[in-house]
Amino acid sequence: MNKRFNIEKYLFTVPVVIYSLLLILLPLLYVLLISFFKSDSYGGMIYTFTLSNYMEIFNITYIRIFLKSIGIALITTAICLCIAYPFAISLMSKKETTRNLLIKLVMVPFLMNSLIRTYGWIVLLRKNGIINSALVGTGIISSPLSLMYNNIGIIIGMVYTLLPFMILPVYSAVSKVDPNLIEASYDLGASKTKTFTKIYLPLTISGAFNGSLMVFIPAIGYFFITDILGGGKIMIIGNLIKNQFLTARNWPFGAAISIFLILMTLILVSIYKKLGGKMDDLGGM
Amino acid sequence: MKKVIVLLLGCLLLTGCTSKQEKQIVNVLNWSSYIPDEVIKDFEKESGIKVNYGTYSSNEELLAKLSSSKKGTYDVVFPSDYMVELMIGKNMLEELDTGRLTNYANIDKVFLRQSYDKNNDYSLPFLLATSVIAYNSEKVPEITDYKDLLNPAYKNDIVLLDDERITIGAFLQALRYDINDYNDEHLEEAYRFYNQMRDNIKAFDSDSPKSFLITNETNIGILWNAEAILAQDHNPKIKIVYPKSGYALSMDNYVIVKGASHTDNAYKFIDYLLRDEVCQKIIDDYPYISTNKNTSNYSEEELRKILNNGSYIKNVSENIKKFDRLWAKMK
Repeated sequence: MNKRFNIEKYLFTVPVVIYSLLLILLPLLYVLLISFFKSDSYGGMIYTFTLSNYMEIFNITYIRIFLKSIGIALITTAICLCIAYPFAISLMSKKETTRNLLIKLVMVPFLMNSLIRTYGWIVLLRKNGIINSALVGTGIISSPLSLMYNNIGIIIGMVYTLLPFMILPVYSAVSKVDPNLIEASYDLGASKTKTFTKIYLPLTISGAFNGSLMVFIPAIGYFFITDILGGGKIMIIGNLIKNQFLTARNWPFGAAISIFLILMTLILVSIYKKLGGKMDDLGGM
Repeated sequence: MKKVIVLLLGCLLLTGCTSKQEKQIVNVLNWSSYIPDEVIKDFEKESGIKVNYGTYSSNEELLAKLSSSKKGTYDVVFPSDYMVELMIGKNMLEELDTGRLTNYANIDKVFLRQSYDKNNDYSLPFLLATSVIAYNSEKVPEITDYKDLLNPAYKNDIVLLDDERITIGAFLQALRYDINDYNDEHLEEAYRFYNQMRDNIKAFDSDSPKSFLITNETNIGILWNAEAILAQDHNPKIKIVYPKSGYALSMDNYVIVKGASHTDNAYKFIDYLLRDEVCQKIIDDYPYISTNKNTSNYSEEELRKILNNGSYIKNVSENIKKFDRLWAKMK
């Protein structure tokens, strides 16, 4: 009996293991490997060991791109937090059916390709777009606002695309908070702010950090948002990597930046673990 | 009844025989959105040759696809100028026998004997793209060259191609340097030129810069000629200028890959595309400059001028990294 159980276990886990080995581990090892090669000028590689690709990252131009990307990602994360908390907390006072419906609505955008949704924003944000025409038409402003092809456009796009990744973990943490605690807090005369900082926040901090990771990390790499809504004027790490592979024909350097980015991610995840976060909660990544 | 069965069996046998015959196919790899589907279908219908049509979006992608696949996988491909040169150097191309092309005479002579394949031993010109300045003449006074774009009145009013070689190349040309110049000082000057233009640039876009002009998002753009013409179709007020100090040329060419397994069909396919009416169909949809002398919208003199004042982008080998670093610095 026990033996049969084992066979079943292997039957179900082996495909997953093969899948991970073939489609995740191998490509990753390949990226690691080529990051130590030299590039030739035709997009190929010269198979000699070098660390120059990693040294190149510390060029001031690229450091500035790293800092810019981190800045954009931090702002995106902060805005997502500011939206997700009030949303999650206000959901708690709703009936369960409404609550489930609203959470499902948060996930509806995933049914459509994010590239198409990003293009949709152009129609809203451009100079003669819906938002500007409405504001100018009603006389609220006299000349159109610059809502895209700048940092504002990038932040709008990032927040919009990544918000669900913040709402879901924050909501799941908030929903586990015992309502009696909140009631007690109000009974004892605590204000809404105080209840939030003293009860909600400490109890849900790992959810918030989990959400922050899921927003911060993709925000560094979502090159299509800076390309489309930033008008290609601002380069983040994602764009830099993409350029190495597609235009500069320098795969080894692109690979080195990718590995560097993975290291950064691992550091963030280890901080998360130190703060008491569970790896299982990061499953969505 | 028996007769019917025999007949049916006979039919089966016959169909079996025909399918055993070598299937007529040609394997083509071309730029994405370059030939209308209709043209391919018409060719298949007329010749009975099935076209396996794949696409790529950069010369480097084409090179990677060719070098990573088995010999004989592809028959006809369409590399640009510098890639033709490179592929000849790597011995990847079959010598062309123009005698096998009945419509060879349709190619305008001005396009032959270009620097990358002096005797057209391996390649024949297909379509010419050039970068141009396009502007809305209703909103902007006449523009003749890149330096006009530095006017502070055009704040946030320009769209440029999101392509490091073309855009930095335009800055170099504005400063009267060669488009392929990688001298550090000249590149630094190009960067300063960019800084003067910076506030005027609304966006870099290679996918559809024409929509910036069509929707009045910007009134000025440096873009490919075909995009500019499509924008002009929408708004006749848009004017197209070949900048005085130069612009980029990009010629795409017919070539047959070395070791192609369907050479006969490859010639048939190229010959079909060389027909006047087929070429017309292609440039109706993608209005690049036709190399077919019977469908051209330009006089020979104009064409000569366009070719003489423009420059091909050349492979600068290792120095591409300089362009790339500058590009990262600009953004």
